[in-house]
Amino acid sequence: MWKYITQRILLMFMTLFIITAMCFVLIRMLPLPPLPAGDTHAEIVVLQREAAGYNKPIPVQFGIFLKNIFTKFDWGVSDKLYIGRDVAATFLEKLPATMIVNLYSIIFSIPIGILLGIFAALKKNTWIDHTISTLTMVVISVPSFVYAFIIQYIFYYKLSLLPALMNSGKDYFTWSMFKSMLPAIMSLSFGVIAGFTRTTRAELTEVLTSEFMLLARTKGLTKTQATIRHAMKNCMVVVLPSIFGEFISILSGSLIIEKIFSVPGIGSLYLNSINAPDYPTFMMLTVFYTTIGLVAGIVVDISYSFIDPRIRMGSKK
Amino acid sequence: MRKISTRVLALSLSTAMAFSMSACGKKDGESATWDMSKKDYVYKDSVPALASYWNPHDWQVDADGYLAQNYILDGLYDFVFNDELHPVEGREDYEGYKVIPAMAASEPVDVTEQIKASHPQFNIPESATSGYAYTIDLNQDACWEDGTPINADTYVYSMQQLLDPKLINYRASDWFSSSPCIAGAEDYFYGGRTVKIANSGDAETMRYQVAELVKGDDGKYTTPEGDAVFIGLKDNYAWMGGNSLSAYQAAGYIPGEGCWDILSAAADAEGYVPVTDEALDALYVFTGSDDWGNESREDLGYYLSVNMTYPEVAYDGNVGLFKSGDYQITIVFAKALSGFQLLYQLSGNWIVYEPYYEACKSEVNGNFTTTYGTSVDTTMSYGPYKLTEYQTDKALKLERNEKWYGYTDDLHKYKDPTDGEVYRMYQTDVIECEVISEMATSKLMFFKGELMTYGLQADDVDAYRNSEYVHITPDETIYFFIFNGFLNTLNEREAAADFDQTKFDLQTMTLTSFRKAIAVTYDKELLCTSISPARSGGYGLIGNAYLYDPETGARYRDTDQAKQVLCDFYSVDVSKFANLDEAVDSITGYDPVAAKELFTEAFNDAIEAGYITDNDGDGKSDQTVRIEYCLSEQSDFITKTVNYLNEKLAEVLVGTPFEGKVEFYESAPYGNEWSSKIRDGLSDVVLGGWGGSALDPFGLTDLYVNPDRAYDGNWFDATSVNLTLTVDIAAIGEPANMQTITMNLRQWSDALNGTTVESSVGPVNFGDGMAEVDTRLTILAGVEGAVLQTYDYIPMLQNAGMSLLSQQVYYVIDEYNPIMGRGGIAYLKYNYTEDEWTKFVSDQGGELSY
Repeated sequence: MWKYITQRILLMFMTLFIITAMCFVLIRMLPLPPLPAGDTHAEIVVLQREAAGYNKPIPVQFGIFLKNIFTKFDWGVSDKLYIGRDVAATFLEKLPATMIVNLYSIIFSIPIGILLGIFAALKKNTWIDHTISTLTMVVISVPSFVYAFIIQYIFYYKLSLLPALMNSGKDYFTWSMFKSMLPAIMSLSFGVIAGFTRTTRAELTEVLTSEFMLLARTKGLTKTQATIRHAMKNCMVVVLPSIFGEFISILSGSLIIEKIFSVPGIGSLYLNSINAPDYPTFMMLTVFYTTIGLVAGIVVDISYSFIDPRIRMGSKK
Repeated sequence: MRKISTRVLALSLSTAMAFSMSACGKKDGESATWDMSKKDYVYKDSVPALASYWNPHDWQVDADGYLAQNYILDGLYDFVFNDELHPVEGREDYEGYKVIPAMAASEPVDVTEQIKASHPQFNIPESATSGYAYTIDLNQDACWEDGTPINADTYVYSMQQLLDPKLINYRASDWFSSSPCIAGAEDYFYGGRTVKIANSGDAETMRYQVAELVKGDDGKYTTPEGDAVFIGLKDNYAWMGGNSLSAYQAAGYIPGEGCWDILSAAADAEGYVPVTDEALDALYVFTGSDDWGNESREDLGYYLSVNMTYPEVAYDGNVGLFKSGDYQITIVFAKALSGFQLLYQLSGNWIVYEPYYEACKSEVNGNFTTTYGTSVDTTMSYGPYKLTEYQTDKALKLERNEKWYGYTDDLHKYKDPTDGEVYRMYQTDVIECEVISEMATSKLMFFKGELMTYGLQADDVDAYRNSEYVHITPDETIYFFIFNGFLNTLNEREAAADFDQTKFDLQTMTLTSFRKAIAVTYDKELLCTSISPARSGGYGLIGNAYLYDPETGARYRDTDQAKQVLCDFYSVDVSKFANLDEAVDSITGYDPVAAKELFTEAFNDAIEAGYITDNDGDGKSDQTVRIEYCLSEQSDFITKTVNYLNEKLAEVLVGTPFEGKVEFYESAPYGNEWSSKIRDGLSDVVLGGWGGSALDPFGLTDLYVNPDRAYDGNWFDATSVNLTLTVDIAAIGEPANMQTITMNLRQWSDALNGTTVESSVGPVNFGDGMAEVDTRLTILAGVEGAVLQTYDYIPMLQNAGMSLLSQQVYYVIDEYNPIMGRGGIAYLKYNYTEDEWTKFVSDQGGELSY
């Protein structure tokens, strides 16, 4: 097992390096934005680009990039989106808002989604199951920004219960701030709840009809005991990785929801860094998200063996 | 840096919404100044993007202008409405403006003669007696928000930092590339640097003719001074309309063998090819070809870059901004500047707080960066407000800067035209600005009383156009259709493998008859109502807001010359009307009957040119003319526009040979590349326009005749179009000397903008201060008319903004003033304090009615 983990980690670093190198080369191969014709600042832009090293050969630029990271952990200074600012510092300044909104959303939506899924599975083919399944399909089919506007209109404009936008400031754990985040949290949660409801229902429905469940009941376990001890555990083999996946999405944010509710997060940062283009920001985000993705892959793989001991990672047989 | 410019020009931007506010105050008799501890009046603003970098030396995007130009800083001179306290002879109160000293203590004093004698290094022309050098006494009450005095040292230090060659500040060129042009600033900025500069910056003149270059022993040519010369494969040359040879090569224009292969092999990593006989021969293979236009060998000079080496120079003694007293600075200009323009240029400021500035500088790999003006901790205000809270991409808060001199002086007051009382400016205690990206959210918040303004969208206009709270803000921009006329590219596009020439056609859109037909197909006022109701129909190239005389507020569009141009272009017989005004008022630009005739004419022209066919002889085009509408990004507005264009076009085409055979379709989103797509003929039409200084309509001509700037620079040669005008060539103050002169459009434009041009009657220069304004208006109108006749630009919309203003505040003057707007936040007046407003909104059931 440990050997397997070590191999995966080494492989992860190699993959990370290759992806980083590829992204660095590809983004630098893109032509720089054309200089505005007739703009008196054009010559200064040329000088600024030269000073930033954009005229150096790409391998040299990559070498400087790596050197700065390994020697000073310096990811560079933004030259388009947040001119003059350290890209890592800007990212870290904006990350908490995204994380907290998404975290609240997951904390609320996963238990609700799983419970609804269990309830629907246990009441399979009853009106309760039909109602939950229908609502789930409706919610999944409608984009989250539609909920966002509906929530804003009803809870803010008509009922005056919630503010239109997330509060400014960084006191994330006050009631006032939590209240201001609720519209965004609710908008993000509907989809997650529906997703977990559907997954849990589907898995549990299948497990509940398995032969080992019949065996469990014939051994004398009650339906509740059999469901909790056996069915849920098997169901979680599929559900748990989804939970990991949701937690990873905490770090990426939602472009649309953050825009609508003015969440000062990182939802649009990656896209903006490509459009700008802001090379230092793009590379920092690329490395960050690639690392998160690779680590998550390893964690999910390893988690299988804890959830279901029958699954053995790295086993030759 | 140019505060007034922002007030006048950026009114369509939400970032400047505060500036479209007006009039307010506190009765002067009640208190000497505002109570700094109170927060009764809060201006709640919103922007789509928040300022992130407001360093006055280096800010670059519009959003940053919110702080880089407003509120936290102050100009040497301010513009205020004229009233009893600030009288202007011959003008009714609030009809004009008055310039008052702000960070300066008094008007600039012209010291040209003295500086010419004492500082010969600034090369003031021997003949000049004024306009080149000024001393400015500084306001001794001005200080930073922490109380640190602002004196002459502050100004000199700040300018030295702004121009520091190591910092490469974006705004440095504002002080030497055009006006104002501080003597020695350019040499100091580029000092110690070797810069490759285009041999021709204007596609007309060259620094060095090819024949002047000197061949070295190694076969490489240099300038007579020994500086290296290159062919810049990646440089954007004015001669090529701002494009590079690489771009043309990528588009398939430049052959590889015997040409590009040789050049690229000799190029360094940056694309510079040393000039040798072989390189020139290779370049000439295509520049001298028929396809390229049979350019002469001398024209090769337009494709060259010269290595210019600027010697390192010290700031002191070499740059024309220096201390001449503890509270006095002297400014020396390389180009004369005086009157309105001088004060206008000095209505901005460049000073920075030295301790913060030094602390914010850092060097990484030899590259200097600064974090000055990126947070509360790196910002020091000296204007009426100070930054107290800032959160990236979220919100900022400004509160009164109690150290601002303007709260206690006698100049920042006004007399209310309604009650006749004198009030202090700046009633607003706090400005809160938040990022709101969605207009739907803005609308909800406005109607809940949480925002001060709401810019009306197309869907809102019918409901609120007659509201007493609605305000229309004119804008200088005219939006016109820019039509693709780049036949070479269209031919290439048609020759592409995936283009079915039996079904589709592109070339027809280059025909003048076709463009004329399009021009009269659309009812411009109906177009506005349908897609953008705040705007109105646009008829000329130069918008309604342009002033040819800022001192009187006289508008170009109101002149007889400008009116006559429109009558000529739209074929209005003036003799049938009582006067020119009535003739102009009759113009709609919409004539479906004429459009049908013109489409028929276009069909015949296209058949004759072989662009389309009529093989079945049914008198209808076999091909559909497909016109790509160029998008920067997808939006409802564009979709609506394209749908409208197709709908109305289909109506007009009924019964013509093009019935059902012309269509607009949306391009892929091109992002920032949209303008190069249009310029290169790779996309076909866009509703575009030019912003610019509304105080200088004359400068606009360059946008249409300079291939470096014009959208149609790749297919329209302004030097090939002659214009004959009868104008007064006498200098100002001399007896009139009317002469009939024929010059090409480029020459007229250059002469109009201050360049001495050789004409049939000798050298002429019709620049500002060189010719009577009536002469200049005649030339401007002549060039406008000639460019309109190309039908490369078809005017469609006159830009304007329509917004609702909160019931919490009001303007002292509702009338929009081209110079002052509605007075900005200085003149904003409140009906309710915050507490009163909250109660008022609650009493209305939480939803306000407008």
